[in-house]
Amino acid sequence: MSGARPSKRRSTRDKKTSQRVGLVDKAERQQAASARLDRLEDDQDAGEALGHLSDDEFRLDDSDEGAQIGEGRKRKKGGKRPGVKRKTRGQLAEHRGPKAFSTLLDEAELEDAPEDGLSYLTAAAASSVYPARKWCSVCGFAATYKCVRCGSQCCSRKCFGTHTETRCLKFTM
Amino acid sequence: MSDRVVVLDNGGSTCKVGVNLKHQPHSVFPNGTGKIKGERQPLVGDQLLACGDLSTVSIRRPIDRGYLVNSELEREIWARAFRSVLKVDPNSSSLLLTEAPFALPAVEELTAQLVFEDFGFHSCLRVPAATLAQKAHCQDQPGIAANRAACGLVVDAGFSFTHVVPVFDAHAISSGIKRINIGGKLLTNYLKELVSYRSINMMEETYLMEHIKEQACFVSTDLRADLHISRARQSPNRREYVLPDGVNSTTGFLRIPADPLPGSSRQPTVHEKSSEQVLMMNNERFLVPEVLFSPGDLGLQQAGLAEAIVQALEGVHESLHPLLLSNILLTGGSAACPGFAQRLLADLRPLVSDEYEVGVYMPDDPITCAHRGGALLAASPAFGQAAMTRQAYEEEGAARMQTIANDD
Ligand SMILES: [Zn+2]
Ligand SMILES: [Zn+2]
Repeated sequence: MSGARPSKRRSTRDKKTSQRVGLVDKAERQQAASARLDRLEDDQDAGEALGHLSDDEFRLDDSDEGAQIGEGRKRKKGGKRPGVKRKTRGQLAEHRGPKAFSTLLDEAELEDAPEDGLSYLTAAAASSVYPARKWCSVCGFAATYKCVRCGSQCCSRKCFGTHTETRCLKFTM
Repeated sequence: MSDRVVVLDNGGSTCKVGVNLKHQPHSVFPNGTGKIKGERQPLVGDQLLACGDLSTVSIRRPIDRGYLVNSELEREIWARAFRSVLKVDPNSSSLLLTEAPFALPAVEELTAQLVFEDFGFHSCLRVPAATLAQKAHCQDQPGIAANRAACGLVVDAGFSFTHVVPVFDAHAISSGIKRINIGGKLLTNYLKELVSYRSINMMEETYLMEHIKEQACFVSTDLRADLHISRARQSPNRREYVLPDGVNSTTGFLRIPADPLPGSSRQPTVHEKSSEQVLMMNNERFLVPEVLFSPGDLGLQQAGLAEAIVQALEGVHESLHPLLLSNILLTGGSAACPGFAQRLLADLRPLVSDEYEVGVYMPDDPITCAHRGGALLAASPAFGQAAMTRQAYEEEGAARMQTIANDD
């Protein structure tokens, strides 16, 4: 694991991504990180949208799945996710019917002084006083490298290679 | 005031429902509706219990981030719970309902409408589940000094999030409540994400993944050591989950891999001997629950559980610290993860004064003990005194219900 830092291995593989962007700035990284945390709260499986659709749309999904029954079980190997288009929170808000908690939270405007100074917002545990630990985004073990483009951590050249091939700058997972 | 009190611990994952004077919930079932692929009609609440094949179910839940947001969906689930499961008439019953701390006014309103307008309960009291769990714990362990003051610190590691709730004199101390935005749902989705990237794509099988998480995950009590031994090709932490094939089996099972697989441990997915598909897991087994103790691992800017307890204590008068620390109660589905209590104790001990005793307790029933405490409260005179009647709701609206709930 000595030699060139993996960040210098900007190789031939990722033409697509290098065409798109050179570097991702910190704000974008943070946005990607919080989008991922949001996804981890989703009820619905990846093949479906968030759990706040009207019954009509819900049934629409249903018929799509009906068509798949004959194809047997669809577990794909590897990390490819079906290309799902997710509804944004904005689109969901326009929809009549139940609102997502995040919408209700925005509407509650808790920032404007709760009576006793206590609210849903103040109850959130504050940041840790300890620095964040660094784990390899590919295999999970302690990371020593950081991808200069997307900021993901990697433990080795091998894992970094996997990272650039599979999910660098895609923020899919 | 009606004598019959329906006790409903309305969790993000499951409903625990019963009628007072019965300490065990009559039924525990998913708080959601589940659609089986190819079926038109979704299964509602307890109907899901009869569904054998978890892998094809996709769930919709009325609770988002721990709070009721979809009252239409909840109405369907509750209707079955009251009429088919409990066989009670809400019009002649009262309701003891759990509600997460600091519910938004909009959530309060949805809940009140559901309780009084849709179901017509005679009266209703809403209480945080943590307070009820503490009540059950007081009855279980009367020998603990802090319990004699109905005092303790409850860690409710639920499905939607994890709360630290200091309790004194049977009431939650609001200024000390802390929340980590990590619950069992996030852990399941995180495990799903990891195995989908490293082994087999399970992104569409959340419900099955929840089952796999419960079987496979543990909290490391020595992270450095566990990481070290997991690096070996024949890591003792390796497990494989044999996935149901949907034909011969509808549930899978966990086993220790027979032989070390040749080559990289990340590649193989299909077992050589047969057509069975196995999901390989190694460090995921403990790095997933690890995020509760170190949310920074996931990029979440929040303290881990031990630090959150310290933050909670900062919101409580110092004289109560020794009592609270001596009586920490772990509840919720994630608390049942093996190693949880030992790890919390190991993390917390160095963060608090040596003079304080730290006691961590786990009830036999971490998922249903809040319901059990609710049954105790429902049977006591305190319930009738604190509950809001439908008449008062009709006259004064949800706002009053809110103030009553906050007093608790
Ligand atoms: Zn790695
Ligand atoms: Zn990258």
